Amino acid sequence: MTGVVVTGWSALTSAGIGVDALAAAVAGVERAGVGARAPASQGVGVGHLYPEPLPSPTGHALVDFNVREQLGRKGTSTYDRVTGLAVVCCQDALRRAGMTIDDSTRTRVGVALGTSLGSFKSTSDYSRETLVQDRPYLVNPMLFPNTVMNCAAGQVAIRFRLRGPNATVAGGTLAFLNAVRYASNIIERGYADVMLCGAVEEYTPHRAWAAHLTGATRTVAAGEGAGVFVLAGPQAADWAGARRIAGVLAVTTGYGPGGGSQADAALAGCVRRALGRAGVDPSEVGTVLTGDTDEDDRREYGPVVQALGHEPRRIMAKRLLGECDAASGAVSLAVLLALGERGISLLTSRGPDGAVGAAVVKGLADGGADRG
Amino acid sequence: MVRVAVTGLGPVSSIGVGVSAFADALHAGRSGISRITSFDPTGFPHQNAGEVQEFDPSRHLRRLDTARWARSSQFAASAARLAVQDAGLDIDAVPPGRAHAVIGTTSGESAAVEALTAQMVDGGFAAQDPALLTQVPANRLANAVSEELGLVGESLTIATACSASNYAVGYAYDLLVTGEADVVLAGGADSVCRWAHAGFFRLGALTESACSPFDRDRSGILTGEGGAVLLLETFEHASRRGARIYAELLGYGLNCDANHPVAPEPSSVAECMRLAHRNAGVKPEEVDYICAHGTGTPANDLVESKAILEVFGPQPPPVSSIKSMMGHTMGAACGFGAIASVMAIHRGFLPPTINWSNADPDLAGIDPVPNVARQADVRVVQNDGFAFGGNNAIVILGAVT
Repeated sequence: MTGVVVTGWSALTSAGIGVDALAAAVAGVERAGVGARAPASQGVGVGHLYPEPLPSPTGHALVDFNVREQLGRKGTSTYDRVTGLAVVCCQDALRRAGMTIDDSTRTRVGVALGTSLGSFKSTSDYSRETLVQDRPYLVNPMLFPNTVMNCAAGQVAIRFRLRGPNATVAGGTLAFLNAVRYASNIIERGYADVMLCGAVEEYTPHRAWAAHLTGATRTVAAGEGAGVFVLAGPQAADWAGARRIAGVLAVTTGYGPGGGSQADAALAGCVRRALGRAGVDPSEVGTVLTGDTDEDDRREYGPVVQALGHEPRRIMAKRLLGECDAASGAVSLAVLLALGERGISLLTSRGPDGAVGAAVVKGLADGGADRG
Repeated sequence: MVRVAVTGLGPVSSIGVGVSAFADALHAGRSGISRITSFDPTGFPHQNAGEVQEFDPSRHLRRLDTARWARSSQFAASAARLAVQDAGLDIDAVPPGRAHAVIGTTSGESAAVEALTAQMVDGGFAAQDPALLTQVPANRLANAVSEELGLVGESLTIATACSASNYAVGYAYDLLVTGEADVVLAGGADSVCRWAHAGFFRLGALTESACSPFDRDRSGILTGEGGAVLLLETFEHASRRGARIYAELLGYGLNCDANHPVAPEPSSVAECMRLAHRNAGVKPEEVDYICAHGTGTPANDLVESKAILEVFGPQPPPVSSIKSMMGHTMGAACGFGAIASVMAIHRGFLPPTINWSNADPDLAGIDPVPNVARQADVRVVQNDGFAFGGNNAIVILGAVT
């Protein structure tokens, strides 16, 4: 088999913490028909989350998320929301993979997390202090690392003592595919045996307003989430986790300068290249998970159909779980695995400019939310 | 075995724009530090940084619309364009999908974030300019390079803070040796901003006017900015087009301290050096020069020196810090270090650590090439990069044999 395998995973979505909560949520939608013309879910009430005003009273936030409940007090006091979501998701993914991390393996386990710009809130709040304090330097030094985009991945490494390659990739809506591509390379080149690979995005006033003002939440509500997948080579040793839940057979990313038709062509090209690398015939693709927002939105589905020559079932996770920006791709893969899909699926992403990408995923017999 | 050539260099820096101005400044030990103009530093006790004061993107950019792309993206795209020109490469002649862009950064479009924050302070969240909001995502740094050069290959922004452009150069190496690419534009970009200036000051890590790495009385960094991009291609591609090859990219190593968000750990940094040597197929005694991370903070320079002495023994190769000249350019820092390393090999000199006055007894054995450049036959260089989050990345470059 080409590519990498998933030996464990977890997701934090507005459906709740962990795999079972997501499985329950998507099972209901599956029965109702994915991608139906019914209105997209607008989420739950979010007004109490922040003292600041929000552009919408509802959203896809984990409104009860409390990092201390999940991790305890120790080491978590400086975490911002995105860091908390990332660390909790990694903890659950590691547990579900049944991985043994000890001094003989910790240098062989790395992290690759996708983001848009880390925490827009942490960064902007820090910048704000320099403007509103009596003196511009009266900022909190303990919170300074939260302004740097690799904060979450660094805290994951510290929490679980993971000393392998530790990467943060900034991809916006492409972030998860960028992270999988990066992590796969690390494994294939032998720099690490296992990569915790995922993407994370937080619900904050800053993100909700940015999404609102740029039109990203015209059809779907703003959301947050994290999805983390324990990736290993197909021949990985038992300590990497005994299960083989899915294979990411190939990942390709590209760019269409100027966007528009150039990006259409680049995305179709990514799909063809990914299928070629995976050794998969276009006719075998049964499901495609796109970042599209409704049936009429074919920014991704259009080029996919063009590349495949047929119209597979389309799942638009953000209609159920909101606009999760950098976490979108990770949430999509989590939805796919929560559904227990066994066939060949395609995962695509497309940015507002020209960035595009595709992954070919095969569900394996060890999959299914009820396992492990 | 595919070998990787460095054939083009694009520095956009406070000490010079373009490879010849930059290399001359390194050789002369010029300082690029000046009073901050990109934000109003009034009220800060320290008011200096390494800004690219004469940055005029219109002199470099042919395709990128500067009205739609913010400062760090403009640095990245300008640096990439300069690297292509320096390499004498007809980028449009590279087959589609065989050329990629990989850019590292610490703070992405920090200037845009700060402008939006000022709008929020004045008028609340709803007062933000939507057009400026679209410029904020950090992926746009690599995307700007793809736009400017018309590249349809991978367009990846790596956000591993101050070692990010070594990650970028390393990933580019992998793209080339695994046959994914013929050409990769790799490097980093960042812009000077208020919040980083304030944060480093409050960490006690910001010096006033002269950064003096490896000096007994060193007292911190100065923030800096710019874009630093290297054009990397396979030897086969370079020789087919008769390109000048500055140096060979031999390999890299990555690891993570997994210990503390900001404090570096000597044993982990030493291990990263060993990993880089092993991956690049070089022995410590073959390294002629270490282009240091050398931030000028008491902690970094002590930890880096300890690690060097642990790996190289009591007589390590000369170790200098170009941050003494240009400040800490964050996500671009390792890119500038890589360009300086290539120039050290190509022109045969060691860039100096300027502002150096007194030997630090705790750094005994470290030769910081004080104040004056030194002629040397440089065959192998180690370019160090460390970062918040314990993200260590070291790149090894060598003379063409």
